[in-house]
Amino acid sequence: MRKFSQSLFAIIISLAFGALILWLMGKDPVSAYMDILRGSGLMEKVKYSGRQNMFTDFMSFIDALTPMIFASLAVALALKGGFFNIGIAGQMLFAGFCAHMAALFIPSKIAVIVIGFIAGALIGALIGWLKYRFNVNEVVTSIMLDSILMYLITFYINTFYINPVSRQSKSIISGARLTLSGFRWEGMKLDIALAFPVAIITAVILNWFIERTTYGYEIKATGLSPHAAYYAGINVNRTALMTMTLSGALAGLAGVSYFCGYLAAIQPGETPLIGFDAIAVSLLGGNNPLGCVFASFLITVISKGTIYMSSRQNIDIEIASLITAFILTFAACSSFLGRRRK
Amino acid sequence: MLEMIIVDGLSFSLPLFIMAIGGIYSEKSGITNLALEGFQGFGAFTGAFVTVYLYGIFGAESSVPYYAGFLFAVIGGGIFALLHALLCVKFNANQVISGVVMNILAVALTSFLTKRINASMFGSNANKFMLGASSRLTIPIIGEVYPFEVMIVIVSIVMWYVMYRTVYGMRLRACGDNPHSADAAGINVYAVRTVAVLISGCLSGMAGMSFAYSVSANFSPDIYLGYGYLSIAALIFGNWSILPSLFACLMFGFARSAGSAVIHQLGLPSSYNDLVRILPYVLTLLLLVFFGKNNRSPRALGQVYNKGQR
Repeated sequence: MRKFSQSLFAIIISLAFGALILWLMGKDPVSAYMDILRGSGLMEKVKYSGRQNMFTDFMSFIDALTPMIFASLAVALALKGGFFNIGIAGQMLFAGFCAHMAALFIPSKIAVIVIGFIAGALIGALIGWLKYRFNVNEVVTSIMLDSILMYLITFYINTFYINPVSRQSKSIISGARLTLSGFRWEGMKLDIALAFPVAIITAVILNWFIERTTYGYEIKATGLSPHAAYYAGINVNRTALMTMTLSGALAGLAGVSYFCGYLAAIQPGETPLIGFDAIAVSLLGGNNPLGCVFASFLITVISKGTIYMSSRQNIDIEIASLITAFILTFAACSSFLGRRRK
Repeated sequence: MLEMIIVDGLSFSLPLFIMAIGGIYSEKSGITNLALEGFQGFGAFTGAFVTVYLYGIFGAESSVPYYAGFLFAVIGGGIFALLHALLCVKFNANQVISGVVMNILAVALTSFLTKRINASMFGSNANKFMLGASSRLTIPIIGEVYPFEVMIVIVSIVMWYVMYRTVYGMRLRACGDNPHSADAAGINVYAVRTVAVLISGCLSGMAGMSFAYSVSANFSPDIYLGYGYLSIAALIFGNWSILPSLFACLMFGFARSAGSAVIHQLGLPSSYNDLVRILPYVLTLLLLVFFGKNNRSPRALGQVYNKGQR
């Protein structure tokens, strides 16, 4: 309950902050915020172009939400086990890339999910293994691996897998893509995120896994105090390895739902920003799997809805990331303000 | 060709080095600093803004905008760093999370403000501040260097002296190793750490402005290329000491410029540069794996200091 009120506090303060900025720019904050809701398909827009309505907007919002849920779950699980997986972005990129490569040979959606899961798990396992075998700090390993993977994949895409027109990688074939793009139904053109149900089920299973199983208990115990866990007879090394492997696997799922779902191609030369946003989203969700779903929902409403809001209100699109950044900043300090009062 | 490698290598290594020194100050005082990336970007933003603004007053020929730009990059980086200090020292925020959030905030804030300022003050739609090319000084033996490289060398010598030869430097290192003893000896741990983070922001701001000149000749959100993380790699490689970090930065810089030169010489497409860019990270990772036991971070690094806690 305390965590919930802290997150709420962070959100309210940041929205007030955002409203202040909008007001200083001479805009009406209330109508701007309503436009954010309209942009993410939660309120009716004034007019729609052909084959679009509130439901299609909502479906594309769900499409954008899916990778964020997976990514924040990855952070939350690692944090429960006492790890900072700040390499989500690199793991996502690697998983997305592997899935793209695999789809060239096995054009199947199931294969994409499995490959993404395994590829992410491998990177996570590598980080966990380096941690317990050589005592290399996972934050450092993650940063190094992020850059290594980003440059390697950029090189490969630019050399062998480029779409010369879009300057991105080639698109994954639609048979393997996790989003049904432009699906016709009842006269609407929908983007259906097939991975979304998987994300929700994963969140529920993860919650059960952490709260109700022995493994989950061991992860939590190791995260709270490795020494105490060790003396209680928990195999700390194995638990650490398992935590990072699972966290990497979740990041891998985020990667495939992002690069082989929400997007169909990989942009060379950059790591996905949601890999970093997810850290703070997980914090906002109190590191609880179900909390993560709600926090992802909120952050995606803002980032997605602001595209519409900025064009309607004639405000720079950058306001989206600014409001998100404020929420994350207040989340970072508010939860610890609360802890200090204990 | 050799001269080009040295000139290019130095113009990349030195900004990296000054940022790594900033990181060492912060981490030696016990504050984990992943926010260097954000600091350098924010510093470059304020510096570039002041430079472009002063172009309008002094004209593009004057050297006043150039040096004023660096001054304000230092100030801007420092002010932004105070936010990280506030979160880590005052609010007991988790330092890794605070660092990541600072980076997100810096990207968002500078992209937004650059556009707003361009629209309202300079009447343009661009998302960047054009700086123009930096003038160059000719120094015997080394060749042509940017003026900021000379500044960096002078500042880094001063920073080395402060860290290892002054009372403040000693206290700072004590705060990172054992804040409770430092406190018992009458040192104000909170103040020392705040100043250390402030310094890291100032030095990063200087580095960011240098990158703005040397890499792209403008400030735009493209400045967030991960050089902040590279300098963190350098300071870990250098075992949290200033001189070994200089060695690491020089190695990173020369590997980069030599690699580009070789690729250029062999007539390979420029995408092969990305393979060269991997080197510093792989080297750092291997070093940590094989010599990790000798590599000692400050003992209280990343721990929240709470005066009442024993």
